[in-house]
Amino acid sequence: MSSPYLRRRITNALAMVLSTLATLVGLAFLAWILWETLRQGISALDLKLFTKITAYGEDGGLANAMVGSLIINFIGIAIATPIGVLAGTWLAEYADRTKLGESIRFLNDILLSAPSIVMGLFVYTIIVLPTTVLTHGSTTFSGFAGGVALALIALPVIVRTTDEMLRLVPSTLREAALSLGVPQWKLTLQILIRAARSGIITGVLLALARISGETAPLLFTAFGNNYMAINPIEKMSSLPQIIYQYANDPGDSMHALAWAGAFVVTMFVLLLSLGSRLILSRTKVSHD
Amino acid sequence: MTDSALATNPASAVATSAVAPKLTVRDLHFYYNGFHALKGINMDIPEKKVTAIIGPSGCGKSTLLRIFNRIYAIYPKLEAKGEVVLDGDNILDPSYSMNRLRSKVGMVFQKPVPFPMTIFENVAYGIRHHEKLSKSDMEARVEQALRSAALWDEVKDKLKQNALGLSGGQQQRLCIARAIALKPEVLLLDEPTSALDPIATGRIEQLVEELKSEFTIVIVTHNMQQAARCSDLTAFMYMGELIEFDQTEKIFTKPGKKQTEDYITGRFG
Repeated sequence: MSSPYLRRRITNALAMVLSTLATLVGLAFLAWILWETLRQGISALDLKLFTKITAYGEDGGLANAMVGSLIINFIGIAIATPIGVLAGTWLAEYADRTKLGESIRFLNDILLSAPSIVMGLFVYTIIVLPTTVLTHGSTTFSGFAGGVALALIALPVIVRTTDEMLRLVPSTLREAALSLGVPQWKLTLQILIRAARSGIITGVLLALARISGETAPLLFTAFGNNYMAINPIEKMSSLPQIIYQYANDPGDSMHALAWAGAFVVTMFVLLLSLGSRLILSRTKVSHD
Repeated sequence: MTDSALATNPASAVATSAVAPKLTVRDLHFYYNGFHALKGINMDIPEKKVTAIIGPSGCGKSTLLRIFNRIYAIYPKLEAKGEVVLDGDNILDPSYSMNRLRSKVGMVFQKPVPFPMTIFENVAYGIRHHEKLSKSDMEARVEQALRSAALWDEVKDKLKQNALGLSGGQQQRLCIARAIALKPEVLLLDEPTSALDPIATGRIEQLVEELKSEFTIVIVTHNMQQAARCSDLTAFMYMGELIEFDQTEKIFTKPGKKQTEDYITGRFG
């Protein structure tokens, strides 16, 4: 074997070893996190976790926090999805290659990386404070305010994925539809959104995964509640907020509960990611 | 300038016999963001004939085709000047209805682009926008279009399946079916076989031959053999100008211009 080929083979082997190692390091941490949350929380992982509320403290569960998380996340996604999909559609289909579109795309990217606590403070200022004043203090913090804060975090994610997925649709598909005389709005709604559908759904699921782990924006908005709250105008508890609270508690059984909560959130996010993967891979198969 | 002046008169030179021109192009200029892409094109495209446009990459052949249904207008900073007359009306006139133009002039693109829906819906989709048909009329219309596109026998049992599951050649015939389902008068084909294998290409060429009894066909191709095989007239373009436009047989046997001869004999530099 001549030397240039030998050198290439060595470089190739080296690159493969290094990249494999890097992958293993990443995966090892993920496995470690999962293992650690499971190991630490296993003593608290029982039925009362899902049936009892946090008011019972170390003898209680996390039922109100789970319900609160579901409600707040639902409000967040329900607000962010229609706005995000429409805004992303506007960016990709109506404002592409315009100055205004480019500026808004840039601003959206900034919003994407804005610290989540800023969102919490912002919603505190625009919703919590005014409702406190208007209702003379009977409604202050609320699940709804928490949902709005999470919506602000999910929104740029959904705008971005919708925009990108639509721009991945080949322009020839647009030309083909327009050359049949189909107007732009029909093309967008009936063809382009359909072609990009799986990508957009994935974006929404990823946004949901992103907001289900958020703590900071909920501190000033949903605040927390040791009792079961279903009405979104009440203060509401959420899993990340309870994890934060219990982790600060000196008691070991509280720590175990916090770990159990962490395990539930992690599994939820993992399942969402797997679900979005499944949706994407399934559509790819049908495209072939 | 005398060169293009000669080329301006192809219709008489060609003596497109008794056939009246379907599309008349008069002093057509086109600008891409300021770049002068078409420089004073004049040509008469006869009705119910196959007109091929050939020329090297970047000569403006696709640009010219894309003016005939004004599909270029969906992008900003593109501008066409001059006249393209279809049945007596200038289609470049802003008052010419886009809806009317696109129902009269159908287009098939380089790559097959079926819509992400069923085979049936792919054909029915465009019709539905222009006409209200009963379920049975629609079914008949879709079948007729698929038959004309020589695809019916292959898909009749799977009309409800996703069109993306068809082969490339079938997808392209589906796109032709989709275009002819609107009963256009002119059919524009923009390198329709460049993404297809020789067998699929052969079927499309055969189809073009069959379709010309009903439609005026303009086909852009970079494949000279294809132009020679399936067109009645051939236009040779170079650097945004129409160099020569004549009967296909004449272009390929005794072209009038040196440039044309160089190109078709492969001596082009």
